[in-house]
Amino acid sequence: MEQERKFWNPYLSGLALGLVLLASFVLLGKGLGASGAAYRVGVTALATLAPEHVAGHGSMGGMVSGHSPLDNFLVFEVLGVFLGGLVAAYTAGRLKLRVIRGPRISPAGRLTLALAGGTIMGIAARMARGCTSGQALSGGALLSAGSWAFMMMVFVGGYAMAWFVRKEWT
Amino acid sequence: MSLPFALPSMNHALFLLVAVGLGFAFGFVLERAGFGRSNKLAGQFYLHDMTVFKVMFSAIVTAMLGVLVLSGVGVLDLRALSESALSFTYLWPMVLGGFLLGVGFIVSGYCPGTSVVAAASGNIDGLVTVVGVVIGSLVYVEIQPLLGGFHTSGDLGWLYLYDLLGVSPQVLALGVAVAAIVCFVGADLVERHFQRVRQPDGLTPAPSAGSRRLAFGVFGTVAVVGVATLTIPSKEAQATAPQLRSIGAGPLAQRIFDEPWGLRIVDLRSDELCAASRVPGSQCVSMDGLGDLGLAWASGDQALVLVAAGDIPELPAAVQDYPGEIYALEGGFLGWSDYALTPPELLAPDASAAERQEWAFRSGLVSALTGVEQPPPPVGTPTITFTPKKRKGGGGCG
Repeated sequence: MEQERKFWNPYLSGLALGLVLLASFVLLGKGLGASGAAYRVGVTALATLAPEHVAGHGSMGGMVSGHSPLDNFLVFEVLGVFLGGLVAAYTAGRLKLRVIRGPRISPAGRLTLALAGGTIMGIAARMARGCTSGQALSGGALLSAGSWAFMMMVFVGGYAMAWFVRKEWT
Repeated sequence: MSLPFALPSMNHALFLLVAVGLGFAFGFVLERAGFGRSNKLAGQFYLHDMTVFKVMFSAIVTAMLGVLVLSGVGVLDLRALSESALSFTYLWPMVLGGFLLGVGFIVSGYCPGTSVVAAASGNIDGLVTVVGVVIGSLVYVEIQPLLGGFHTSGDLGWLYLYDLLGVSPQVLALGVAVAAIVCFVGADLVERHFQRVRQPDGLTPAPSAGSRRLAFGVFGTVAVVGVATLTIPSKEAQATAPQLRSIGAGPLAQRIFDEPWGLRIVDLRSDELCAASRVPGSQCVSMDGLGDLGLAWASGDQALVLVAAGDIPELPAAVQDYPGEIYALEGGFLGWSDYALTPPELLAPDASAAERQEWAFRSGLVSALTGVEQPPPPVGTPTITFTPKKRKGGGGCG
């Protein structure tokens, strides 16, 4: 197998990411987002399983009445994220099925924690009206006070929890 | 001038297609930065790999500076964009949500966006994280009613750091860019220290100094350009720096005769005094009533003239948002009365032509306003019995 390409320099990656975000501001009048799409996919799935419950629910009901919750730019943008990630990983020789984990944790343990961490982030992103993309990046670039408070707290939360899950990574 | 965001309104399908394209670029860059790998992302929280911080902060600085330069040259409206792209600040849910997202980040090894990239690169832990995010979103909407008013607590509306700190966005952006460069240098030092702790053999590759210098150079230059756009005069800039000019009774009288439609005269004295005698065309408004005139929304085509009993020391807060010129009558109504309601002293025989012209204007003014016949009576017996017969200009009421 050919050798993997190296990662980009972080500052140049950031510059490129900033230009993508700027293009989104200029072309769509919107920032980048990710968690909003996950929420909409979830509502769609739930609407198939329990349509009456969703239709009667306050915030979800409004989303499914009239048109599909998937008819939203965030959903299409995240579809693009998946495709972009796929092409980038393939062309860099990094496209491979695997479970990334530290040496002191089993694959099952790692996947359980990934599911738990994802669930916590889903709750957090709904609560904060966005995740690291929609709040920290987009709101941070527009100097929104709430977004900067959010971003600082992401780092606080990460550092506070890091010691407890150190066996997962090192 | 603001960018119309033509795409969302023009064609829904094209809008979604552009979103796919932007997402593609977003995902591609995230993968190439190394964000498809949970162990690399987690390194941020064990201090031996600061890539997350570096990429995020340089992306924020790049987009921030780009937006400010574009709004500085008038291509884009910063506040309109911010209100289109962002939610209100709900402080408490954002603080707790940020903390929880950080916890979820180190537990799962991803954030919601990077987990999609990880899944696309074949990392099963990334795919499982995506599933978790979907589940978590639904969990929150289900439990949200149990949280009472927490979801909307700390509602501060659209709140921006530059308003909070009372500086212009450009100046704050320069500050953020400088702080970013300082933090990057610090992050590099921290990272190398903890890499050495981890791998004492020194297998760490030296950071690419050339790319770093290039990126820092771009940030610095664009930040300076952003601040330089402050010197571009804009209508808003003029409106935010109102000043109180002073106008003498003579020039005011001249303007009342020449172009009464260009003036809006407001008499701030008590209703009784104002009703008894006032500058022609003026309206009687108490100081407290100024705020009710809607001056901030007026066109600003007329010059606003404030008349008090005497001089007005400073611009009243209620008129600060008036978009046009603001004048205070020199000497107040007393000055007006001395000039326009008191007959001028007789001229000496050797008066100059300019003095004669000024005298003729003033005595004509006094006789027009007081009804006293020419030639004026001897000095010392003024009759102030003026009641306005006709309102000249001034608001169109009456």
